Amino acid sequence: MRYRKKQLLIIIAIVLLVLPAATAKAQPVKGTYLYNLSSFTGTISFSWPRIFVDQERNEVYVVYQNIIRVFNATGMEVYSFGDDLDLGTIVDLTLDQDGNILLLSYKWSETIDTGYEITRCNYRGEPKSIIAVKNLPPQYSKFLPNRMVYREGNLYLASLVTMVVVVTDSDGVFKEVYDILPMLELEEKEKQDAMMDAFSIDKDGDFLFTIPPLFRAYKITPDRKVSYFGKSGSTPGKFNIVAGIASDERGNIFVVDKLKCAVMVYDKNFNFLNQFSSRGWRPGFLIAPEDVVVDREDRVYVTQAGNKGISVFKVTYN
Amino acid sequence: MKALKLSLVILAAALLTIGLSGMAYAFHSGGVADCDGCHSMHAPKTGGTALLQGTDYSSTCLNCHANAATGSYHVMTYPFPGAGAAPIDYNVGGDFAWLQKTYTYAGHPSSVTENGQDHGHNVIAADFGLTVDSNYTQSPGGTFPSAKLACNSCHDPHGKYRRIGGDTTYTIATSGAPIIASGSSNTSPVPTATQAVGSYRLLAGLNYSQDAGTTAISYPGVPLASAPGYGIAEAAAIATRVAYGVGTVSGSTTWGHWCGACHATFHSTGNYVHPIDQAMSSTIINNYGSYVSSGIMTGTAASSYLSLVPFATNSGDYAVLKPLAKQGAPTAGPNSGDQVMCLSCHRGHASGFQSMLRWGMNYEFITIADGSGNAEYPGTDNGAAASAAQGRTSAEWQAAYYGRPASAFGASGYQRVLCNKCHAQD
Repeated sequence: MRYRKKQLLIIIAIVLLVLPAATAKAQPVKGTYLYNLSSFTGTISFSWPRIFVDQERNEVYVVYQNIIRVFNATGMEVYSFGDDLDLGTIVDLTLDQDGNILLLSYKWSETIDTGYEITRCNYRGEPKSIIAVKNLPPQYSKFLPNRMVYREGNLYLASLVTMVVVVTDSDGVFKEVYDILPMLELEEKEKQDAMMDAFSIDKDGDFLFTIPPLFRAYKITPDRKVSYFGKSGSTPGKFNIVAGIASDERGNIFVVDKLKCAVMVYDKNFNFLNQFSSRGWRPGFLIAPEDVVVDREDRVYVTQAGNKGISVFKVTYN
Repeated sequence: MKALKLSLVILAAALLTIGLSGMAYAFHSGGVADCDGCHSMHAPKTGGTALLQGTDYSSTCLNCHANAATGSYHVMTYPFPGAGAAPIDYNVGGDFAWLQKTYTYAGHPSSVTENGQDHGHNVIAADFGLTVDSNYTQSPGGTFPSAKLACNSCHDPHGKYRRIGGDTTYTIATSGAPIIASGSSNTSPVPTATQAVGSYRLLAGLNYSQDAGTTAISYPGVPLASAPGYGIAEAAAIATRVAYGVGTVSGSTTWGHWCGACHATFHSTGNYVHPIDQAMSSTIINNYGSYVSSGIMTGTAASSYLSLVPFATNSGDYAVLKPLAKQGAPTAGPNSGDQVMCLSCHRGHASGFQSMLRWGMNYEFITIADGSGNAEYPGTDNGAAASAAQGRTSAEWQAAYYGRPASAFGASGYQRVLCNKCHAQD
């Protein structure tokens, strides 16, 4: 009897020791709502704007209906420009190593098919030069990018629909192309719906993107190795309608889900860590989140529909 | 023994789950899509129905079908373009973002406002800012309640309507054989006797009810069509033809009768309205084949098809329709028996024009000419008269015509409205 009691005590002790560790493992990361991006008149009502974080200067750029707004690290608008520019429809923005603002826009000329332009602006948003993409192989003559990323002297132009990424130098001279669809080795039926919903590049130069109809998030390394994660489902960590994807300095991957209205966090090996937020119109909740970016202070910026603006969360790690 | 049985059941369930998780499908594939794309089994919306997550039915659809990127399976430019910028999704049905483009311009005696909601079907999608039509409480020409209008008013979200048994000889039903693929494309497989393909764009047919059976819509059948490929855009730079057909077998119908389920009095049968579902006369056929642009009647019938003025081929045989569905090469105009339909003049979703027409009717000219005599759209940005520009920039006009440059309507401009493609009165 005494022996059994001792055994029971040992089991209880083990459980007490293991339980907190297990809990910590289940939730090593937590997201807390901070605020929505705002001006001095209140929160700004965006729906699915483009967003870019200038990691060096800790500023956030938002492109919405042809106006570019700049926010400081506390989420307040400090500058805006663009409404008087004759640039066509601005579809994306990035910054080069000198702090110049690069704008990707669609120009309306004889045909929309190739009617895009990249404009280099100074920090005030004043156009200074046009970056023309040069030496593009003829088979990509109809290439129409809708995402643009600048990284370490290279300009990455991505077409989400055709899943092609063109890499140029900072002056637009063609360097290489990633024709992503064949790289994924999909079945014929899967190819029908294959289209990227988001595109970003992590600190190691890996491409990150999602394909919602396949319920997957992909990574392609600079040496063209493809890996992916994701399964359909509504339980934590699974995908309903996966959308934006980004990574932080640790290599953790953040994915937003339009249907689930949550931000899901995975480690660099695609292990699910936790998810935060859910559907709702109140502050801190999300409506059809579309894109996500993370700044160097672990602030997570989430764009969404319903004129709910950009919600900012602070991520903390145990 | 009991424990063993239970273990086997659990093991079988686990294997089944693992097995299914590994299977990947294209999303709709002509029928019901992956449940997790619309329903949330474990985190549904509070107070919602059917475990759906969007505020309403259309919001759920637009989670995937709205996007800033053009093409593929998108039907709405989102976010909505700002003032002077144009919706840029050239899907054949039309871009729902036009519903948000309201134009105000100088008129006589007072300014004119053209409300965005006049540009198409006002599907309600609260998450995306699309609200109920405030002009009509019921469908024009019919009795369908505007407050119920959603994507699933026309499209069966579960895609039960199917074509079984072949391209030439087939039956239309909601069961009887499994749907193996989309039936919308000219590359869709030919279903065998024990197979089916989905209806065109998952459109609804006989005995359909939206909202889980609470709102019946008396479609006389499914309409027939074949598109050149899967998710196509009607790019102006590339000749694009969806081959619309004429349904004759049980469970299928003509396009006019299908639209007539909600717009009954607009149908031509017994009404003094434009003919619908009727064979085009030889005069109309000849006009269509010869018409190039205003005043120019030197065209060739064999290459006269214009996607801004489509028609229905007088056939329900997919072996006939599929080869007609093309993108990239000009195709022929109508033959004897081919029919005019609602979609000859209107888009299905929305357009850049009132009444979701395929071209503007508020000014006699589509294009004008600049100081050098070159064709241009009459925009607010190029000094055109207010009555011609109608509050639009030239870029918005161009997008409304699916990216066609003004010169596509003739190098010297002054193209008149496209009623003339058939009637040649210009």
